[in-house]
Amino acid sequence: MTTPLRDAPDVSQSEDSAVSADALPRCPVIPGQPDFPDAPGFPMRRDDPLSPPAAYARARKSAGPCRVTLWNGTQAWIVTRHEQVRAILADDARFSGRFGQDGFPTVTEARVAVDRGERAFVGMDNPEHDRYRRMLTQEFSVPRMRALEPEIARLAESLIDELVAAGPPQDLVGTLAVRFPSLVMSALFGSPYEDHRFIIECAAARHGLTQSVGTATSKARELVDYVRRLIDAKEAAPGDDLPSRVLQAHVHAGRMTKDELAEIGAMILRAGHDTTTHLIGLGTLLLLRDDAQRARLAADPAGIARAVEELLRMVSPVQFSPRRVARVDVEIGGVTVRAGEGLFLLLGSANRDAAVFPDPDALDLGRDAARHLAFGFGIHQCLGQTLARIELRIVFEAILRRLPALRLAVPFETLRFRDDMQIHGVHALPVTW
Amino acid sequence: MSGGAVRIVVDEHRCVGAGQCAWVAPKVFDQRAADGVVVLLQPRPGPDELPYAREAAQLCPARAIRIEDDPHEDDPHGDAP
Repeated sequence: MTTPLRDAPDVSQSEDSAVSADALPRCPVIPGQPDFPDAPGFPMRRDDPLSPPAAYARARKSAGPCRVTLWNGTQAWIVTRHEQVRAILADDARFSGRFGQDGFPTVTEARVAVDRGERAFVGMDNPEHDRYRRMLTQEFSVPRMRALEPEIARLAESLIDELVAAGPPQDLVGTLAVRFPSLVMSALFGSPYEDHRFIIECAAARHGLTQSVGTATSKARELVDYVRRLIDAKEAAPGDDLPSRVLQAHVHAGRMTKDELAEIGAMILRAGHDTTTHLIGLGTLLLLRDDAQRARLAADPAGIARAVEELLRMVSPVQFSPRRVARVDVEIGGVTVRAGEGLFLLLGSANRDAAVFPDPDALDLGRDAARHLAFGFGIHQCLGQTLARIELRIVFEAILRRLPALRLAVPFETLRFRDDMQIHGVHALPVTW
Repeated sequence: MSGGAVRIVVDEHRCVGAGQCAWVAPKVFDQRAADGVVVLLQPRPGPDELPYAREAAQLCPARAIRIEDDPHEDDPHGDAP
């Protein structure tokens, strides 16, 4: 999938000596340079499955964004520094996030089709974005999510009960990391839990790096159609769930159509499964590889809030979003990005920026990682971040308390990571205890 | 800027309801039940809460929270324009 990288930039050969020079991207360190014909291929391969591509660290040493070459031969910019990622995401006057517009960068042909078919507010600019988002924000507000905590905790405990009853070894991803957010989303949507496999299949078709255009578009459609049918069912028999509440508050008031709610519901369902699942999988793996920090956290559950932010920083599962197109010529770190050019804002790179996080590649569960950008920034910052934080606190606390002897059941080297997906993770995590 | 009195100003129009403020500084910020938009509970938080309010301002993805020097420390109605 990835194109080999060529031509080392002349920036800092001092670090990462394990990375050969021919694995480095060429970065525009000179302002005004008109073209970068040997811009490296993007996406880039990870050398270490638990860290972003080593090339990102090189790119952060250049003052501004770096050019990359995409699957279709077009070029875009990658933005790798924390300060610049944050500033661009906060600047919707000069950068558009509208999916499918000319110049909007993609990692696959299928993603082009998915972007063009997106009707939810994730793909809109303001003022349309805020109009729709505001009809959903209260569904994920801090007070509402706090009220769900006891139920979420009960779901986590029951899944670990099942795990313990089944006995080791078990795949922690398949048993806990997939099911836990699925059960939470099922409760939130008042939808049958059995449907989660279908929802995950639809999310995978969107978030893959190898799927066909036809599969990606048909699965995107199927998920919207599924939510549309759910909405009809809720209209006939309302419940205490998100679709019923939004129907009552906004659809019946004429502010949103049922088709629009179906698009938004599909977006939320996709987002609520993949990311949390793989944060649990990779987060657990990080904990299993550091016995001392894991023991300290287990002995001090009050540290779980900080630890979750650090795991979010380290894992950063969203790899190739968010994206923007410059509306006007913008100078960023001495580099001019022209109107109409696309940018990838690399959250995983921003979260390893030593300017913000000292010793950035080290897991430090005690550090203050609150400024991480794993949920993005600006108007599109994750709608479900409070839910995610609550889920992650609860599940990691429960894992540490109930499975204190947890360890990998297979050698680390045999684990299969999601190099084929846009949301990073580990496909399976065989564990014993 | 000095260690003098400060007040918090929120911009409801910019707010996107991400909830970071109500998460890190729940005694200073809440979210409206109707649409999740920020509600300022304490425009002039005490020294115990101010650090959390400052963190909320820094984390706010929509930059809808400002912390300003308070020129009307004695005026309880010295609200922002």
